[in-house]
Amino acid sequence: MKITTLAECTTGDRAKLNGIDDEQLSVQLFCMGCIPGETITIERIAPFGDPIMISVEDSFISIRKEDAEKMRIEKV
Amino acid sequence: MQKAENFKIEDKVRIVLVGNPNSGKSSLFNVLTGLNQRVGNFPGVTVEKKVGNFKINKKLKAEIVDLPGTYSLSPRSEDEQVTFDYLNDDNRTDIPEIIIVIADASNLKRNLLLASQLIDLEKPAILALNMMDIVERNQQSIDVEQMAKEFGIPVVPINARIGKGIDKLKEAIGSYKLPPFKKFVDNHETKDALDNTLVRYEKIKRIVEATLKTKGESKTAILTKKIDKILTHKVLGYLIFLFVLFIMFQAIFSWSSIPMDWIENGFLVFGNWLSNVLPKGIINDLLVDGVLAGLGGIVIFIPQIALLFTFIAILEDTGYLSRVSFLMDALLKRFGLSGKSIIPLLGGAACAVPAIMSARTISNKKERLLTIFITPLISCSARIPVYTLLIALIIPADQQIWSFNLQGIVMMALYLLGFVAAIVTSWVMKTLVKSDERSHFIMELPIYRAPRWSNVGITIINKVKVFLFEAGKIIIAVSIILWVLSTYGPGDQMVKVDEKYQVINQTPGVDLSLSNEQMASEKLEVSYAGHIGKFIEPAIKPLGFDWKIGISIITSFAAREVFVGTMATLYSVGDEENTASIKQKMARATYPSTGEKVYTKATGYSLLIFYAFALQCMATVAIVVKETGGWKWPIIQLVYMGALAYFSSLIVFQIFS
Repeated sequence: MKITTLAECTTGDRAKLNGIDDEQLSVQLFCMGCIPGETITIERIAPFGDPIMISVEDSFISIRKEDAEKMRIEKV
Repeated sequence: MQKAENFKIEDKVRIVLVGNPNSGKSSLFNVLTGLNQRVGNFPGVTVEKKVGNFKINKKLKAEIVDLPGTYSLSPRSEDEQVTFDYLNDDNRTDIPEIIIVIADASNLKRNLLLASQLIDLEKPAILALNMMDIVERNQQSIDVEQMAKEFGIPVVPINARIGKGIDKLKEAIGSYKLPPFKKFVDNHETKDALDNTLVRYEKIKRIVEATLKTKGESKTAILTKKIDKILTHKVLGYLIFLFVLFIMFQAIFSWSSIPMDWIENGFLVFGNWLSNVLPKGIINDLLVDGVLAGLGGIVIFIPQIALLFTFIAILEDTGYLSRVSFLMDALLKRFGLSGKSIIPLLGGAACAVPAIMSARTISNKKERLLTIFITPLISCSARIPVYTLLIALIIPADQQIWSFNLQGIVMMALYLLGFVAAIVTSWVMKTLVKSDERSHFIMELPIYRAPRWSNVGITIINKVKVFLFEAGKIIIAVSIILWVLSTYGPGDQMVKVDEKYQVINQTPGVDLSLSNEQMASEKLEVSYAGHIGKFIEPAIKPLGFDWKIGISIITSFAAREVFVGTMATLYSVGDEENTASIKQKMARATYPSTGEKVYTKATGYSLLIFYAFALQCMATVAIVVKETGGWKWPIIQLVYMGALAYFSSLIVFQIFS
């Protein structure tokens, strides 16, 4: 099965962000440097599978799984 | 802010400091101002406002305002709204203003977004590129001149952590000339805010590619990733956090005892000296037994409060606190909270007032309300004096369990109890408060860095100052009122006690010091304070409290630590020799009717529980009114915590007695 959202990735995966299907979420993530076209790395997944720590460029950002489901990606 | 066309620097300039969170903004602020700074609030809101002063050169003085950190000028939270409003306010025209936008040069693209938005405000601005040390370590270099040309504003590389480049920054301020403004991105050319951001990033990306030379691979995050493997590990992560908490509370309890003894003895010596030097009489009594006793009761806790703030400041400054949020989010989410709630909850261990204010970073309204509601249940530093006194009273200092100090263990247990009560309360509230707003947990985790000791030091000084002066004002006032209430009484009851003991003292063979002590205690009983305490005694008797404790509960609604000051006043008023410390006096206290000890284990534990749960703090009520926008929540909170305290104490007293 092809992986299409960030929530399906596992630790160490790298993925290209294609878009975020939520305006409110986009506003928040865009200004933190998480924009379409950037490569996202899954750094760590917290003990209960949630939240997820990602890195974009040199920024580390934590994000909940339910929000990661709205982030369309393409594994690289 | 002054209109740009009128811009002219004469002898004073206002610097407005803006930047992303974690960009080193407070380092720069501290390096520029040193201790020449004060903390206040922005008008109308409770967002912290730091203002400082410094000299740019011999002729030019500067005032600097530190605005809350923000990622962009499209405000999402109240903190960011403050920054936005301050920058767009055209009514401040008293002195010229220059914006310094500070950017983390090791994370250029994201940091330059805010800079690009500030440029489009068309106001005097300078870009300070911070963390140049990391850039160099990554074998990168930035063409500063080229960047200044691209942005159309002066660019100064700095390293705020060690104060490098600060002279150059001051020079840039002193020699600032209004440049021809050009828009970075024209808002008319973009279809909406999101598109605008993307267009900005496109342009920034080109500038970064043109100005940033990279030789090797970025090493910034390598160490952070390694540390995170341990500190956010699914088992180790929690164990380490618990261990950190344990060390923190053991340290607060044991390390601070030495300076606390000095302060205690210092006040005793000074009190005795003052009492002997001043002529006998009412002023002498008021100063020594009223004011000085109350003041001593608060100054003594400065070592503990300073230590607690030291730990919190270090944890925050190193980047560890945000990892704790990350670890706790999944757990806290189940209780209707957010991982970010851990910062108010930990901050609540220092003081609920700033902690409740820090809940603003939680964007979801329900999560924020629950956090505000439960934060006062976390044992704050104002409870430390009460806990310390009562624990010392009922547990011997040398008692140990597995070579750990039992006093320290009880102290930690009280903190845990507060935390558990908070969490359970939140879990119940979660089902009662309805909300259909979605919740996010989007938070930046800064890279690990060594704590900036000067920042930590300045934080501690600021916090202790606030505690000492804000709480101190109330405590001195309450001490004086109390002294009056406990020195005077209704009718001629006081005179009668005096007359009675005049006769007794003349009896041959009477123990004078004993009879004087009895007189003092009888006088207190017939004073106004005694009458008030006795009035409420029936209600608190089932908890094991006498009327003296009753008075203290009433007065300590002002602030919990007033309990100690009240006790100090209640037990020293009428005493000839002010040498026995308050603890010893309380330990000796007995019920006059039965001769039984007042402060038994049962009463001690009951009182500890009462202070752990009751909302005994005017300032907290006031801040909750402000933060929730009304009286509904603070009243619910006050009644709930009061009931919780009353019934828990009732149960504890019945178990132990």
